[in-house]
Amino acid sequence: MVISASLVTWFSGPTLQTAPPIGDWVALTPVLLLGLTALILFVIDSIDPDDASNTPALAGTAAVGTVLALGAAVVLLAAGIGQGQGGALRLYGGQLIVDGMALFFTVIFTSVATLVIVASYDYLADRVYQAEYYMLILLAATGMTLMAAAGSLATVFISLELASLPSYALVAFLKDNRGSVEAGLKYFLIGALSSAIFAYGISLVYGATGRLGLDAIAQQLSGGTQLVGILGVGVLMVAGGFAFKTASVPFHFWAPAAYEGAPAPVSAFLSSASKAAGFVVAFRVFAVAFSPDAVAASVDWTLAFWLLAAVTMTIGNFAAATQDKVKRMLAYSSVGHAGYVLIGLAALNAGQNGLVLGASMIHLLVYGFMNTGAFLFVALAEHWEIGRTFEDYNGLGTQAPIACVAMSVFMFSLAGLPVGGGFMSKYFILVGAVGTGHFVLAALLLINSALSLYYYSRVVRSLWFEDPADSLSIDGYPVGLYAAVIGAAVITFLLLPGIFLASDVATSAASALFA
Amino acid sequence: MSVAEASTTAFAFEVAPAIAVLPLASFVIALFAGKYFPKKGALAGVTATGGSLLLSLWVMLTVAGGAYYNEEIYTLVSTPESFDLHFGVLLDPLSALMLVIVSLVSFLVHVFSLGYMNDEGERGLPRYYAGLGLFSFSMLAFVFADNLFMSFVFFELVGLCSWLLIGHWYREDAPPSAAKKAFLVTRFGDYFFLIGVVAVFATFGTATFAGSESFPVLAEEALTDGGAGGELSTFGLGAQTWFTVLGFLILGGVIGKSAQFPLHTWLPDAMEGPTPVSALIHAATMVAAGVYLVARMYGFYALSPTALAVIAFVGGFTALFAASMAVVKRDVKQVLAYSTISQYGYMMLGLGAGGYVAAVFHLMTHAFFKALLFLGAGAVIIAMHHRQDMWEMGGLREKLPVTYYTFLAGSLALAGIVPFAGFWSKDEVLYEALVHGLTDPLLLVAYLMGLIAVFFTGFYTFRMVLLTFHGEPRTHTARNPHLPGWNVKFPLVVLGILATVIGLTNMTPVAEATGLEIEFLHTWLEHGIEGLNSEHYGELLETVAGYSAAELSPLLAAALSLALALGGAGLAYSLYSGDRPDRHTDRLGDARTLLMNNYYQDEYQVWIAETFGTGVARLSDRFDQSIVDGAVNGVSSVSLFSGGRIRRIQTGIVSNYATLLTLGLVALLLVVGLTGGWFL
Repeated sequence: MVISASLVTWFSGPTLQTAPPIGDWVALTPVLLLGLTALILFVIDSIDPDDASNTPALAGTAAVGTVLALGAAVVLLAAGIGQGQGGALRLYGGQLIVDGMALFFTVIFTSVATLVIVASYDYLADRVYQAEYYMLILLAATGMTLMAAAGSLATVFISLELASLPSYALVAFLKDNRGSVEAGLKYFLIGALSSAIFAYGISLVYGATGRLGLDAIAQQLSGGTQLVGILGVGVLMVAGGFAFKTASVPFHFWAPAAYEGAPAPVSAFLSSASKAAGFVVAFRVFAVAFSPDAVAASVDWTLAFWLLAAVTMTIGNFAAATQDKVKRMLAYSSVGHAGYVLIGLAALNAGQNGLVLGASMIHLLVYGFMNTGAFLFVALAEHWEIGRTFEDYNGLGTQAPIACVAMSVFMFSLAGLPVGGGFMSKYFILVGAVGTGHFVLAALLLINSALSLYYYSRVVRSLWFEDPADSLSIDGYPVGLYAAVIGAAVITFLLLPGIFLASDVATSAASALFA
Repeated sequence: MSVAEASTTAFAFEVAPAIAVLPLASFVIALFAGKYFPKKGALAGVTATGGSLLLSLWVMLTVAGGAYYNEEIYTLVSTPESFDLHFGVLLDPLSALMLVIVSLVSFLVHVFSLGYMNDEGERGLPRYYAGLGLFSFSMLAFVFADNLFMSFVFFELVGLCSWLLIGHWYREDAPPSAAKKAFLVTRFGDYFFLIGVVAVFATFGTATFAGSESFPVLAEEALTDGGAGGELSTFGLGAQTWFTVLGFLILGGVIGKSAQFPLHTWLPDAMEGPTPVSALIHAATMVAAGVYLVARMYGFYALSPTALAVIAFVGGFTALFAASMAVVKRDVKQVLAYSTISQYGYMMLGLGAGGYVAAVFHLMTHAFFKALLFLGAGAVIIAMHHRQDMWEMGGLREKLPVTYYTFLAGSLALAGIVPFAGFWSKDEVLYEALVHGLTDPLLLVAYLMGLIAVFFTGFYTFRMVLLTFHGEPRTHTARNPHLPGWNVKFPLVVLGILATVIGLTNMTPVAEATGLEIEFLHTWLEHGIEGLNSEHYGELLETVAGYSAAELSPLLAAALSLALALGGAGLAYSLYSGDRPDRHTDRLGDARTLLMNNYYQDEYQVWIAETFGTGVARLSDRFDQSIVDGAVNGVSSVSLFSGGRIRRIQTGIVSNYATLLTLGLVALLLVVGLTGGWFL
């Protein structure tokens, strides 16, 4: 069953000829741009540490850096670098791999980072340590793009830590806010535990195979191994490390606290980009190193992901349904969406690998916009200081109709109604699950989506149908936050008709992993 | 097989989609910018449909040159090894002819609307012209649809447009209700059509009309070759039985749209719409859509003698049934409404009796003379200041000569008096029914009903003419009618000429008598894409459906029906001529009550709807309340409860989290390890 139907017959997909040989640094332009921008911010901050006067310069520099990185990633993707017949580009002895999937996810990370930075311009107004904030975001984004390109377990671990460490600091950014600091500490502690498990898993895998490079591990495992138990424990512990990054049950406990306590733009960044980063590295490690053909007989990790997917989407959605605070509801819904995406990994043993994995990638792309937008709307609400619960949002539609239309688009798209790309991407996942015979997961996906409609529509009901409290008043319409929220809404909507542009890229990138 | 003889696709075919797109553009213009134009969007509509007409003529000429066109133009969904949903263009003699008819009538209706709507100072004109544009667009796209799915889409759009236009005067009581009725009754038939479309896809994997992979061809191969039938899934039924079921399902939509018994009840009510809309609905668009669909996929129906017999019988019955009701109506538009039902019955009779060409012929002539009659009635209604009761008219002949003579031409055509258009086509329908009926008693009964209806048709037509135009004016308004302008007369004259002469294109009795090759429509429809022409249909009817025609001179049948028509007209003349005609309907006694109440069709359908519909609704409500809602409430209360439990796990204490995380990992290790057998 070909998901990427030829609805857009005029669209011929990315150019699939062999890419011309290019320098390593060209293929890594997005990574280098992000890192460089972080350093430039450092320079600006050391020359003129006065944040108040520097706000436009700092936000502007950061935004320009991420936009340039985004543009570079799109150009590389369109030029067919690392895709097609030439195969992936292996840099530095295979430590980094630039291919369609790495570039696809780089587009997600840089898009989310751009939205978050634009929104932060208003959110951070009058706060100190702004330069550090933008720098941390950029460094985390650098780490994520490296995660997408990691070619060995060593680079996987290092890039994962590069993405995580700035995140801990970002969550605790509001230093004088008890919730923020507490959340940062919890995040850090759980993160440390998960990293330990992850590192232990890597060492076990190394013990079983004697290799760290993903291709090398795959080669080693194709001959079979005597150390099935050691390898199996190692594989599952590695999976645990990714489950932490993607906020999958039971490694999700940090997520609600961290997302709720962190500044809302940071929550947006973590729940969208950081989650996608966890997934891309999981995709690559499990598809390449522990390829299902080689190890599924002895170490059936698809079963593990099957369980994780089922439990994650169920617990995430059920918990989200009982929340009183919008931000916390979004945090749990983010857990639920991780469960949907995990279906892509759980279904990797039925001969439809490119399609199911492609469906998960598309969902992460759409999710990157709709979820970021939803959290940024919460940031807008925090900026207006109108409160955190559903009731506090009552009647907001009368005061800020445009932003509320955008929020409604996010909510319905997250629920999977056809007002945004979320409908199509969830549909692809469903088709993938059914096509590979995972009917239980498909049923759970449907049940949970139906349940999610309940709590997402609560937000919409509050915005439009409830009478506003007398005290409801909002001061001003911050340009940056509005621009980010509306931009995210427009793209979410456009991804409904335009999904096929992305789906061709995603499925061919995913298929290339198994070629 | 997009090209037959020409080596390159004719340019006319490349631009053919514009035939439908032009009215769509006028819809958009009228809707959004209509109020800024001097004629509120009328000129855009006139220009667009005029352009469509020219393009249609061009396409027709190209088709006459022996080139045909069958191309996909837009794919919605394509799934390899399953089916695809696409829009395409199929241009062959049938669709080219119909395009010309539709665009011509639509063009003339637009022009007439200038007089009927603009000059009368109606409100909501941009909405009106937008509706007309969308209506024309839907019908034209329906006509050149190359597959059943596309047909269904535009079939439904046509239904939507009729709802919009019939309910144009939505502030009054009757029009919205009539619009709803038209929409709901036709929708009832369309449910079957929809199921039919899905079943066709499920059976054949395609729904295209033409080509070697089209569903009529596949069905034919399944029946004739025998071997190929095994590849099609016929859901446990024999191939021919299953095709008959499919044919019936699609026929549901046809009966609804073409107002055949028992789903005809919406059509008389639809007279509440503006009269030009009635002309459009009856002559060229909505009602014609049903019959056209049968003609379009005639290669499929020709495989099933059962379906054909039902079509013929329903058609013949409807022709008689509706004609009898038209006899007692007082409202001029009501008479015309029932005559429409009756005439479409003839077309169905023709199709069912194996007279494909005859039915298409009658579809064509009827389009012209019925459009003429409705527009003529519209002119009378303008003249009578929007009074429609014929008993308030009379004597309009002197005041409205153009209207009178054109209306008379249309009436002669409707009644089937030689040499007007309706005579030739209706006669051919009856002839086909008779020659095939001599070997099939069911067809013969259908033929007899159609034949009796000829008498009624002659009667009610001339009753209408006499009451409206002859005698002394019976009211003040009739003595001082409002004289219509050029925009009313022009369409009348064009259609009047056509209604008079168009029948000469296919004079079968004359051809038979003289041996001349003058059956142009027969020649026209004999050509076309392979498997999609009347010659092929004739073979199918003989070999698959087992139809055989008796040897009979068309002159005899023609003379018989002409005599009946003259008899009806003569009876009307003897009753209603003179300066002050009496009301003779009272003499019918109980029969009059029955006829005036339309055989209580509405009543029994409302009764069925209330008894069964409400019963089913109540049952499903109970199901919804108790089982569905119960399940939903159950799920949500369970989920809220367990959600609360899940919340409790989230204690906020990091060491608890760490414990749970570790335990979770251990559990995962145990499950996967045990199934993987690591610990053995």
